[in-house]
Amino acid sequence: MYKNSRAGKFFLLPGVIWILAFTIFPLIFSLVISFTNYRLGRAAEFNNLGSYGRIFTDARVPETVTTSLFITTCSLILTMLMGVGIAWLFNHDIPGLRIFRSVMTMPLFAAPIALGFLGLILFNETSGSINSMLRGIGLEGGAWFIEPWWARFAIVLIDTWQWTPFVFIVVLAAMQSIPQELIEAAKLDTASSWLLFRKITLPLIAPALGTVAMLRLVETFKVLDIPLSMLGGGPGAATQTYAYYIYITGLKDFQLGYASALSYLLVIICIVISTIYFRRMRSRYEVK
Amino acid sequence: MTTVRSLDTSSADIHPIPFFNRQRLSKIGLWIGVILAVTWVVYPLAWAVITSFKTQLQALEPTFIPFVQFTPTAENWTQELGLGGRETFASLGNSAIISIGSTLLATTLGTLTGYALARFKFGVGNANVVSWVLSQRFLPPVVTIIPFFLILQNLRLLDTHLGMILVNTTFTLPFAILIMRDYFAEFPDEIEEAALVDGANPLQIFFRVALPLALPALAASAIICFAFAWNEYLFASVMTNRNAKPYTFLVASTSTVRGVHFGFLATRLLIAITLPVILSLFVQRYIVRGLTLGAVKG
Repeated sequence: MYKNSRAGKFFLLPGVIWILAFTIFPLIFSLVISFTNYRLGRAAEFNNLGSYGRIFTDARVPETVTTSLFITTCSLILTMLMGVGIAWLFNHDIPGLRIFRSVMTMPLFAAPIALGFLGLILFNETSGSINSMLRGIGLEGGAWFIEPWWARFAIVLIDTWQWTPFVFIVVLAAMQSIPQELIEAAKLDTASSWLLFRKITLPLIAPALGTVAMLRLVETFKVLDIPLSMLGGGPGAATQTYAYYIYITGLKDFQLGYASALSYLLVIICIVISTIYFRRMRSRYEVK
Repeated sequence: MTTVRSLDTSSADIHPIPFFNRQRLSKIGLWIGVILAVTWVVYPLAWAVITSFKTQLQALEPTFIPFVQFTPTAENWTQELGLGGRETFASLGNSAIISIGSTLLATTLGTLTGYALARFKFGVGNANVVSWVLSQRFLPPVVTIIPFFLILQNLRLLDTHLGMILVNTTFTLPFAILIMRDYFAEFPDEIEEAALVDGANPLQIFFRVALPLALPALAASAIICFAFAWNEYLFASVMTNRNAKPYTFLVASTSTVRGVHFGFLATRLLIAITLPVILSLFVQRYIVRGLTLGAVKG
């Protein structure tokens, strides 16, 4: 509407300066100390790329990255499939839809740290309700807190519980914005609701799916609160994600230099993913 | 429709329509699916509620039905919220101060910046600014935690409400900016142009015309910012220890203080999640847009 004016700057600058002030310094600071061997209480010395070199010889890195990748992949697949499935269900003519939809979104706003504890209560091998239900239908209860892969999967399930509703409401919104005439026209050609979904609905919700998948990918890879409170990274170090490892290295072992180097690897990954994302989104953000 | 049916009556006598016809079956299937989905979401919360009414001993048994399988007790709730709950109310108060403070700041700054990005054209390119703001959400918080600690230490703001307000404002500001930008960008600017023609200056237009129309989006962005600040744990665990300790921190310290007492833990986690969950019910229309940072229209 307006050209670049003084009033425009007055509106723009407070927020921009705030973000600059509080994020540029941390980023530069982290970058600088990532080139040192800085530990708390000790003088920092530059070790050039020593910290980065250490990443490649540190056995904990591939372990924690594997854990992160496993949790991210499983959680992404599960949330996407279930989210789309539930959205498809709710996209039918259901009385009281709005109430059901509100109920479905409850997990989204729950504190992840509290959900880790919810997991602790639910998955407990002896007194938890998950195992008692599994036993109820004649299965053996899972060794959620003892076996590494069970424990990782328990984290996946909690994360899936929290974020499926996100996929669900976004996909439902996308489905409801499909013009009804399009569906009606396609119905004349086929009676199969699967074909209808695959040929009409799916292509039309694909952009929304892409956005959601991208956001979930980045967010899940950073997951820290849930493993922290649920099992404290255990059993052993089985549920330590990469973000968790950074947290321990920096804030428990106080190897700030090395932790910053580890962080920067994560920053680079996030920058790569977000660049891909922005390339798609750019046109939406221009002012005519 | 009626004619078709009257024509069909004779054949219906020969092939009576079964009670469970195709349509009815698919409707039943649909309802089963919906009920399963809702149960799946509600079940873990229901389990937490049940557990919160158990004693430590009862919580070690996987029993479901109060009064039948176990005698419920309110001891966890009275212990947390009763007379002995001074720590509870202190930290809930801290959470409230921190969340409200950062929400006010983030929403104010976010509305101004969002308006600027939707209505003015800047030399650096609006899309560049928006992308940069968005990229803040992609930044892992664990990366900035150490430098943030040092900033607060130098400003002597460790373990203060103000310090935590600064931290949370920084993390929620991108949400506020993007939600508000999106709202203003979709809003027709004819009214504002008319005001401009009438001789109002941009400030008057913003405060008298645009802002009152943006109240619903403002409320939505405020609630989303509030929820994120309320749920924040990581920074609180590093930057507070006594005076400004929020409730999430108290929840996280439950297990270390008393071993794992499931009933008590359940009580605390329920208290922690109640407020944001209830508030979110008021912004259903904006959740999609807010959480996808404006990328998908709800």
